[in-house]
Amino acid sequence: MRDWKLEISRRLADVTLAPPREAEIVEELAQHLEDRYQELLVGGATEARAYNATLAEMQDHELLVRELRRTATPPPVIPGTRRTSRIADIRQDVRYGLRMLARNPGFTVVAVLTLALSIGATTAIFSVVYGVLLRPLPYPKPQQIISVAERAADGHPMNFTDPNFDDLRASNHSLAALAEYDVNGVSTVVDSAGPSRVGVAFVSHDFFRAMGVAPVLGRGFSPDELHEGAAPVALTSYGYWRERLGAARDLSRFKLKMGEYVFSVVGVLPPGFSFPTGTDLWFPRELLEHLPSRTAHNWHVLGRVRDGATLVQARADLSVIARRLKQQFGADIDMTDVDVTPLRERLTGDVRPALLILLGAVGFLLLVGCANVANLELARAAARERELAVRAALGADRGRLVRQFLTESLLLSLAGGVLGVVAARWGVSGLIALAPPNLPRLTDVSVNLPVLFFALAVSILVASGLGVLTALRATSADPQRALAEDSGGHAVSPHSQRLGRILVASQLAITLMLLTGSGLLGRSLLRVLSIDPGFRTENILTIELELPAATLTAYSFALSPTGRAQAAGFVDKLFERLHTIPGVQEVGGSSDLPLAGDLSNGTFLLLDRQSSITMLDDFERLMHAVPTGEADYEVASEGFFTALGIPLLRGRLFDAHDTADAPHVAVIDQSLARATWPNQDPIGKKIEFGNMDGDVRLLTVVGVVGDVRDRSLERPPEPTVYVNYRQRLRPGGDFTVVMRASAPPASVLPAVRKIVRELDPDEVPRLHTFEQVFSASLETRRFNLMLIGVFAGAALLLAAVGIYGVMAYWVARRRREIGVRMALGAVPGDVLRLVLSHSSWTIAAGLVLGLAGSLALTRTMKSLLFDVSAADPVTFAGVALLLAGVALLACYIPARRAMKVDPMVALRYE
Amino acid sequence: MFYQYMAMLHVSSRIIDRELKKGSAELLILSLIEARPRHGYDLSKLIEQRSDGALRFHVASLYPLLYRLEERGWIRGRWVEKAGQRRRRYYRLTTRGRVVLAAQRRGWRAFVEAINRVAGVEHA
Repeated sequence: MRDWKLEISRRLADVTLAPPREAEIVEELAQHLEDRYQELLVGGATEARAYNATLAEMQDHELLVRELRRTATPPPVIPGTRRTSRIADIRQDVRYGLRMLARNPGFTVVAVLTLALSIGATTAIFSVVYGVLLRPLPYPKPQQIISVAERAADGHPMNFTDPNFDDLRASNHSLAALAEYDVNGVSTVVDSAGPSRVGVAFVSHDFFRAMGVAPVLGRGFSPDELHEGAAPVALTSYGYWRERLGAARDLSRFKLKMGEYVFSVVGVLPPGFSFPTGTDLWFPRELLEHLPSRTAHNWHVLGRVRDGATLVQARADLSVIARRLKQQFGADIDMTDVDVTPLRERLTGDVRPALLILLGAVGFLLLVGCANVANLELARAAARERELAVRAALGADRGRLVRQFLTESLLLSLAGGVLGVVAARWGVSGLIALAPPNLPRLTDVSVNLPVLFFALAVSILVASGLGVLTALRATSADPQRALAEDSGGHAVSPHSQRLGRILVASQLAITLMLLTGSGLLGRSLLRVLSIDPGFRTENILTIELELPAATLTAYSFALSPTGRAQAAGFVDKLFERLHTIPGVQEVGGSSDLPLAGDLSNGTFLLLDRQSSITMLDDFERLMHAVPTGEADYEVASEGFFTALGIPLLRGRLFDAHDTADAPHVAVIDQSLARATWPNQDPIGKKIEFGNMDGDVRLLTVVGVVGDVRDRSLERPPEPTVYVNYRQRLRPGGDFTVVMRASAPPASVLPAVRKIVRELDPDEVPRLHTFEQVFSASLETRRFNLMLIGVFAGAALLLAAVGIYGVMAYWVARRRREIGVRMALGAVPGDVLRLVLSHSSWTIAAGLVLGLAGSLALTRTMKSLLFDVSAADPVTFAGVALLLAGVALLACYIPARRAMKVDPMVALRYE
Repeated sequence: MFYQYMAMLHVSSRIIDRELKKGSAELLILSLIEARPRHGYDLSKLIEQRSDGALRFHVASLYPLLYRLEERGWIRGRWVEKAGQRRRRYYRLTTRGRVVLAAQRRGWRAFVEAINRVAGVEHA
């Protein structure tokens, strides 16, 4: 017997097979060859001829090798598994899928772009949601960091008072650290490089322990620096140290001047640490006065739960102490309990609803995009029905075909996902640039690993949904019927058609919900804009200043008369110089510009002429004895009212006679007049508001002005007491000058800068037009509206393309029918009616579903609406009409094409 | 628009060709072992004889097909030793193979009828 095994083994050298399997194959093939050889010999062939003829059986051995490779069982890792064949199948599916997609570039490009748009937008919004809401704070064991606030009797949270903080800190058993800090914002600081506006914070000594950070250079605050009158020291942020201090290792030579105080830099905090947000310099809170009052709420408080204790335990622990204090101090304490929340929640609680609504909205956009791609895939699957039927008839099992569809969907959505992530990176930069300033943790927003995982998960989810839907629909067709149909590639089951229309109706429904959402937000914005704020904004320049300070007075009530006189003198000189700029009509100023930020408010006493007080302690005593009122407290000049066009309704404004030594006067707004002295003339009434600035001199009401929406356009005007800057200016405080000019504000900027610099070289004025300030106050609303509006617009476009596609396809398939009808006498109007009646049910179903969905969902966005009901009929009707119009227009284009069908051509077409 | 573009897409003739050959070969083998188990050489001889030499399988194409059918669980090979012969591997139809064979016969019949209708070939 010839050695066939050797010949075979030599030819199979390239195939890796498990040895026993290879032996079997070789034996089996050798047997075959031997049979053949013997047969040839019996047939009369010579040995040589028989040998050659037998070997010829193996001449296609490359094919054998290839086929064996494909079906071969590899050296078994786990006996019995069939991994290689599965991997080979997958590889084959991928190759085949790529070929199919490449053969259909129109479909592929549209599908990939649609998915890229949808996945990209979703990923971009998720990046923001992840960075702002989900990402852990960048501190050690961030879940242990808590924010603590006093809770008032009516449930609202308040800042801490010093004695309450001290008691909580001393008596708790659950915290490793508890610290006071302020969000003092921005101050002018002079270093060796000159003055600059810097974020500063006063923090108590446990602050850095609570946050879990330590200086990377130098040291922290030492005990002897932690009392009033100690030598002032500062810690700087890493960024400030690099940019302003030149990253010098020797910190001892750096002195920072803030007001009259000079701080020595003793340490540098780690890169990235900037809490409270935007802070570059930290000072010991202990430098400032410790106030004994349990009603002076000045401090934010944060803490760290000690190892082993839980948030719940900490909450219970602190709550017990707070309630005990309330029992002990009764009316002298405002705190009834404490609010304990994880710091992360505290930082982001305000924006959470809006962000989640945006995420929901972009999710809807994703669904609309998927529906479009699903419709494309269905149409393509219909076109491939015969191919699938042939494959099924020839033995391809359904599972394999389903897998083929899944593979193709996966290829599409991964391509869409990759493009989407690229788009998301652009989107995220755009979002960060456009985001309203109150969006916290923006620096934590980026397209990072978790975001990429999210994009991948979304892509896979989309692929599975699309693939399974299409595959089940496409492979459920009866191969025999599909093969038997003689419709030349246009075979499409009524099921696919129905599914396509269901998809379009759902698209329209979801689009309608998005449109309703953006419609409601848009109407809210219009409502807000139509509000009369009580002041004018045109041609007004605002100049934010920090008044020169004689002392470090952030919380000090002990104000020196000289300090006040100095500050008032500075303002007087400034007003005088600004008036000399050509074109300037009015100049004034106030401690609090409307819409620009925090306002102080408090309780005042209604006193008569006889019962004036001489010290602040009397104020606390009288609070329970005489009538009181609540009001905002602002320092202003008479020019403030005239420049902003706030009307004088009664009495007079301040004037030059109201000097520091003259009786102190107040101008009040109309709502305070109404609330406090209904049906009386408020002029000449006396109030005591010394708790706001430590000055206990009585204020006499001399004038009543119109109401102003100070805090935001959306909040009704608050009762306000305006005091005269000549009498009550706070040195070191913020003061905003307002200037009305006949020329555009920009033209006077250089002159203003020059004047400020000449009067105080250390001042860094921030100049804005009042219109900018006004506009900034609407940024959050505009941001939400813009995003949801863009999503709704994109969804509308996708839905229009979707319904157009389905109708165009329907018309194309019905050309012959339409041709017959026209040949039988139908006029174009009849054809139009046929097409539109076919689509109108789909559109109607979409509208009804969408309106119902909107009713259910817009309730969740109540907190974002203003003066518009979540079920606003005008909005609902408007967006429904818009959508119906766009949908009908999208149908009209194919309908027109149908009307132009030439009966003869259409009949020949098939 | 792309819908029309897709609607005009037709099945690639290459794909049909390949599937046809593969499918018909499967059908042949399954049919031949329906009644009783056979070994590979036997199968190749039978195909050649019954088609009057029109169809012929080489070693290189027959055996991979057998292995693939076996992998799918449609047929099952077993070494059988008979007196006075070297051992040979006999393939028999599995229950699943029987179902597939029935389906393939139906599909093939439908296909041939479809071709006939389209190509206008009359039934015998």
